[in-house]
This record gives sequence, C-alpha cells and structure tokens, in this order.
Amino acid sequence: MKALRSTGLLVVTGLAVVVPFAQQYAGTVFVLALCYAIVTAGMAVQIGFSQQIAFSQSVFMGAGAYGVAMLNTHLSMPSLLATPIVMAGAGLAALLLGSVVTRASGLALAVATLMLPLIAVGYLSSAGYLGGSIGTPLTGNLWEGASTEATAVGNGLITVAVLALVVFVCTRILSSDIGLELYVLGVDEPTAAAMGVRTSRRKLELFVLGSVFAALGGAVYAGTQLFVPASLVDPTAELTLLMMLFVGGRKSILGAVVGALAIQYLYGASNWVSVNILIVEGVLLTVVLLADPDGLAGLVAALARARPPAPAAVPLERTNGAIGHARLDVLPDSQRADGAIGTLKLLECIGVGKEYGGLAVLDDVTLTLPGRGLFGLCGPNGAGKSTLLGVIGGSVRPSRGRVLLDGTDVTRLPPQERFQLGVSRTFQAVHLIRGRTVLDNVAVACLSSHRSSLVRGIVRSRLAEARAKAAEALDYLGMGQLSGQDVSSLTLENQRMVELARAIAARPRLLLLDEPASGLSGPQRERLAEVLRAAGELACVLLVEHDLDLVARISQKIFVLARGRLVFDGDPEDFRSSDVVNSLLQGGRGGRVPPP
Amino acid sequence: MKFGNLLIAGLVTGSIYAVFAVCVAVWYRVSNILNLAVGDFAMAGALGVDNLVRVRNWPLPAAIAATLAVVAVFAYAYDQIVLRLAQDGPPNGRRQQEGIVITFFFTFALSFFIDGIAKVLFGTDVHAAPALWGGNSLSIVSGLHLERAGLLVLVCALVSGSMFWLYIRYTLGGKAMEACGENRLGARIVGIDVRRYRRIIFIGTAVLAAIFGIVESPITGYTYLSGATISLTGFIAAAYGGFRKPGRALLAGLAIGVLEALLGGYVSTEYGDTVMYAILAAMILAWPRALGFESAVSS
Repeated sequence: MKALRSTGLLVVTGLAVVVPFAQQYAGTVFVLALCYAIVTAGMAVQIGFSQQIAFSQSVFMGAGAYGVAMLNTHLSMPSLLATPIVMAGAGLAALLLGSVVTRASGLALAVATLMLPLIAVGYLSSAGYLGGSIGTPLTGNLWEGASTEATAVGNGLITVAVLALVVFVCTRILSSDIGLELYVLGVDEPTAAAMGVRTSRRKLELFVLGSVFAALGGAVYAGTQLFVPASLVDPTAELTLLMMLFVGGRKSILGAVVGALAIQYLYGASNWVSVNILIVEGVLLTVVLLADPDGLAGLVAALARARPPAPAAVPLERTNGAIGHARLDVLPDSQRADGAIGTLKLLECIGVGKEYGGLAVLDDVTLTLPGRGLFGLCGPNGAGKSTLLGVIGGSVRPSRGRVLLDGTDVTRLPPQERFQLGVSRTFQAVHLIRGRTVLDNVAVACLSSHRSSLVRGIVRSRLAEARAKAAEALDYLGMGQLSGQDVSSLTLENQRMVELARAIAARPRLLLLDEPASGLSGPQRERLAEVLRAAGELACVLLVEHDLDLVARISQKIFVLARGRLVFDGDPEDFRSSDVVNSLLQGGRGGRVPPP
Repeated sequence: MKFGNLLIAGLVTGSIYAVFAVCVAVWYRVSNILNLAVGDFAMAGALGVDNLVRVRNWPLPAAIAATLAVVAVFAYAYDQIVLRLAQDGPPNGRRQQEGIVITFFFTFALSFFIDGIAKVLFGTDVHAAPALWGGNSLSIVSGLHLERAGLLVLVCALVSGSMFWLYIRYTLGGKAMEACGENRLGARIVGIDVRRYRRIIFIGTAVLAAIFGIVESPITGYTYLSGATISLTGFIAAAYGGFRKPGRALLAGLAIGVLEALLGGYVSTEYGDTVMYAILAAMILAWPRALGFESAVSS
C-alpha cells in the first residue's frame, strides 16, 4: 500500500499547488518540474534501483516533446490525443533499440547509450525542419480551457495526474516480487541469473519502461510549455536529469520527484543563484552525495530510522547454537514420498572440455549423477572444480562435450533456464544481496515471476507468497530468527547458511555447492554436515570441498579432479585408501585422508 | 592530397582526444574513479593563462606557472577534502559498496563547480591562451599542411601517452599504481600508500590536462563550458581503450580523430559526426569483450 500512499501524497500536494497558483511563478515552475519528475521517476526504476545505467533519457524525452509538437503543428492534433500516440511510438522505438543495446551491461551499456544524445544533437542541428539548433514552437495546450487561467489549471492538473500514475506504477513494480528480481539484477547480475531471473528480458523491459516514461515526460513538457527547445536532447540535459535523480535519491521514486522539484526551484531561487547555478549545483551534488549516497531520500530514511531504536540483533547464543540444526521432521516438501529414488541419470557430463586461450582447464570429463544423494568433488587448487560446477550450472560454456539433465541436452542453456529445470547453486565467495533482509535473500530463489512481464508487477504482487516459502525454508534450517536481519550484519557462518538456504529453498533437483565449509569452524562444520545430509535425501547434491574428512564422511561417492582430468571416482572407503588421492590431495606431506 | 590533409587534421584532433583519454584511463586505473572533470582542468588552464596575459599583462611564462600552480593546489585540496570523505570509508562501509557510479558523480559535480568558477573569473566569451609557437603553417610537401600548434599537440599526446605506458609497464611505481586500482585492500596490505598514489596521479593528470589545454586552445578556442565536451571525447576514447590502458586509450583517441576527419571529408560534413557515433556504438555492442569493457567492469 506504499504505492497508494505515495500517489495520494503527490495528488494532494499537486492540487494544493496547482489550483491556487497555476498562473503564478510558483505554479508554473511546479508544473515544469513535474514534467521532469515524470522522467526521473522512470529513471529511478531503471538507473537507480536496477542499476542499468543508460544515458538515453534526454533523447526519448526530446522525442516525446518533438513528436507532440509535430503532430500538433502539422496535423493539428490536440496535444492530449498526441501524447498516447507518441508514447506508443517511443515504446516501439525503445523495444527495437533496446533489443540491441541491452545486450551490453554495466559500462558498455552506459557508453553505448551515451552515443544516442550525441547522435541526436548532431542530427537536430543539421536537419532544418525540426527547428534546427533552436527548437520548435507549438500551439496546442494539453487542456484548452475557456480562459487562460482555466487552461493553466487544466494543464497543471493533467500533469499532476500523469505523474501520479507514473509514481503509482513505478512504486508498485518496485515493491512487487518483480521489484525484488530487479534489485538483485542491479546488485549482482550473475547471481540473478543463477537464481532464475531472465536477465536479458528484464533489462529490455527496464529500458522500454525508462524510455516510455521519458517520452511521456517530454510530451507533457511540450503540451504545457508550448515550446520544445533543441537543448532538451543534448548531453547537458541528460546530466541535468541525472543530477535531479542523484540529488533526490536514486533508489526512491518519491526521491526522484523531490529531486526534480528541488533543482527546478533552485534555478529561480535568487538572482545570485541563477547566475552562479553551476557552482551551486556542483556544491549541492557533492554535499548531498557525501552526506548520503542515496541522496535526500536516503537522508530522510536515515533520520526516520534513527528515531525509534533499531530492534537489537538477536544474539545467536540465546538460540543455543541452533542455527543449522535442521528440523528434519518438518521437511518442506513430501518429495521423499514420491517413492522411487529418482531418475538413475539426473545429470550426465559427456566428454566436457574447457579451454581459456589455449590453456585446458577441463579435459574430457565424463560423470553421471543419480537423482538423489550427496557427491563430493575434490582436487588440488586449479584442478578445475569451480569451472566444472560452472559448466554444470550454466555460467561457463564448455569448449567441448555435452551436459544432459534428465536426458535433455542443456549444454547451451544459460543459468536462468537451468534454474527453471531445477539446478541451483552457491558460490565460492558469498554472493548475498546486500541491503536486503535474510528473508528477501532467500525469497529470491522462491519467485514465481520469471515468466511474467514487468506489467504484471503493477497489477499483482506475489512477493508475500515467495516470502512465505522462504520463511518455511529458513524454519526448516532452524534459521527463522534471522529472517528480519540485513545480510551485511551476519557472521560468515550465517552468511554461508543463508546462501545454502537460498539454494535449498528453490527445491532444486540438482544442488551445486562450491566450498560451503570454507571459513567455518569445527562445530559449524558439524552443523553444516547435518544440513547437507538432509539435502542429499531430497535431491542430488554435488559438493566441491577442500575439507576431505567432511567429504569422506558424508558423500556416497567422490570424484577427484587433477589438472582438468577426472583421476578418481569411488566410494569413501576407496577414497581414503587410494594412493592417487592421497598423493594428490595430501601433497608431499605423505599424509593420508584421516580414517573415520 | 585531400586524404593526406584529412589524415593530418584527424591526427591532430585525435591527439586532443588521446591526451584526455590517457588522463582518464591512468586515473581510473589507480582510483577506479572515472574523471569527468579532466576537460575542465584543460579549460581552466587555457582561460587562466589567457586571462593573466591579456587582462593583467603578466609575462607568458609567469602566467603559465601561476595557472598550473593554482590547478595543482586545487586538485590537492579536492582530493584531501572530497575524495577522502567519498572513498576512504571503512572497508565494508556503505560508501565502499556503492562503487564507481557514485564516485563518477562526484567528478561530475566537480566539473560543474569548475565551470561555474570559470564563468565568474573569465566571463562567457571564447578565448585562447597565446600560441606557444607562432607562425605560418608548416608545409611538409607541397599541398600538405600542418599547423604549428597542431604539431605541438601531436607531440604532446605521444609523449604523455607513451610516458604513462612506460611508467606502468616498466617501473615499480607504475606496478604499485596498478595494484591500487586492482585491489585497494591488497595493495595497502603489501605497504602501498593507495591514497598517495591516487592523489599524485589526480594532481598529475589535472596539471597535464591544463598544460594540454594551454597548448591546444589556439586551435579550437575555449569558453567556460568547453570542458564538458572535452571530457566527453576523452571519456569515449578511454572507453575504447578499455578504460584502464593508457597506451590503448592513446591509440583509440587517434583512431577516433582520424575516423571523424575521414567521415567528415568523404561521407558528409553535416552528418559525419552522427555516422561516427553510430559506428562507435555498434562497435561496443559487437565486441564488448575485445574492447575491454568486461575487465573494466569486473573490478
């Protein structure tokens, strides 16, 4: 209901300013600022929250404004009617353009989209019919009232209504299950993919959303200001939009709106400020970002947090070390009851090889795993264990060979598609989503939204269902009391356990664990072993681990890799007694894997 | 002849891009901050010298020395006040997690600030520092011309680019500098003063940019707003050098300049730039890996 609150607040403020002051300075600046706010609200979703940095907003804002001006001037179309037509056109253009540029991520996306304003400026100043390097006027107001005052109030009210709608849509998306997907995508794209998020699709949707709202902002700008300056599309305009977003608070929709208002009012605050606007903007942005990287919205949130004392972190001692004490009596799924031991061949790797620039990391690895059980994968550093896990999980494309899941060839499927088929993994270094609670971190693996479009997030949120599933998984692992904590505040053990919980919560058929015990103490490892045994009853677990004793105690079969080749596979008895294994893994120290 | 003259013009423009690309790349490598204010230091250098010589009648060498000193002191103060607060928080603190996006905006704010100060001090007209090497353009063979200032610019670009390349590749200091950018914590553990390197290179690139602005301004002329455009071209050229490699940034800058001149000369004077930016965008999308974007992002 956060969405309704934000929208309501905006509508009330809008009415209070527009109705009495529409024709005065305060009112006209307000309406102008709201045009920018429509754009920055979309940017908060795309750039701030999901961290897909694109410099193309000013171009789409310009396209929206020029589109309305052209339809109005040449076809005498009312601006209000032209607006949806222009939005549809912008959406189509963004879809085409986005399907090309969103193949890139991070800096590549930023630099590729930076070319758009440069191209647009060059085009505009050369092409005469759009008003060249000055701009183009139009005559159609959004609302043609009987008097100038009625027109001004009507224009203002339509602008408020449009912005309110945009804020509602954006806030709904961010607070839905799809919002959680977007957040993970922004913080850590590989983890998002491993958790089933269809990353390229989401990136395209975000690009379209940001572009359509930018075009909408531009259309409203044209219909209220009655002049489209060419400077609306140049890189400076893009920087102004970014300044509004970052001063206001890049991750908050209302913050983005406040940022647009603040900067726009600043321009006219006083004569001295107008003359020295560059100095003022530079100092303002520096001070705000130093005070809080999340801008004014972040400052407000920090103040709000500071007032009531934060609930004390649950001391783990009080739970008597119960973290990781799996309550095996409340198995989340009746998966055990499906009778058969599962398929005999859940996973097959056939002749898998991987080379990096001529260096063979994996060489002709062939192994088969059944539908249930715990399997160890050992080997000296650099043997290719993590690479093999990557090949099975889908994050590494093998140079040769095939990977079959349940008899289906999945060699070319990306991680997010394999996740849908029941492959789940943890990472060697902890990959949790900072800034979110334990519950949300686990809920990422329980989302059912991967096939839904961004639009569904506006209508209905299934975040509560995902959180319920996550809570169930956390309870199962005896970690329920952690669910409200921010993951950054956890100990390493608990971070690893949360990552394990996330992998298990997806109820995978194949669970890939990369060194879950590293950094854990002896008692912590015992608790981990208990959880792993339980997981092995439900699914097929492939465990990469350096703790040979742990592996030998809990695995039913162990594979050993050396220099990319499979040199041993057998049961723990053979593993302990094998000379190959002992010479490889105990180094030159002549030791042996300790007996049970 | 047309091709030759276009090539020369392209190399001169390209060396402008190249120097700023080198400045961006070197400092990004040591600090992981993309410096969007580098062009503003160039503008400040050129307009500062012009102002001292033309308005206050200072002798040229004194004007240059004073301007560079002011730029260096300003860069030092900025590092001590803003960058310290922005980047030197506790290793797991909130600011450390925010990464390059936020620090990028600090330099963006710095660019605004310098432009605003320049507007107050130097006004809004187009000016340029006095030419360091006046005279007619040099004629290499009949029909091929090279402006003297253009030659200086080219030499300046090649010297500064290769200097940084050699420094990183062959000296211990260069390796230490590289380590700062690769892994701040790791570099500090082995005894490298990360903050000192960041400060030295920041001041160094600011002064280099200012020198280059003084040398180059007779060709194009600057206003208080020229900095952003210069930074942008430097940023783009640095991007095609993979952001971290000054040697490649130098070559990328030269290549972009030549491409721009050739497109302007043979394709269309009006739409040459538009076509060039479209080609550049297509290149990133086609070969992000080969252009080094992945490595730039991963750290």
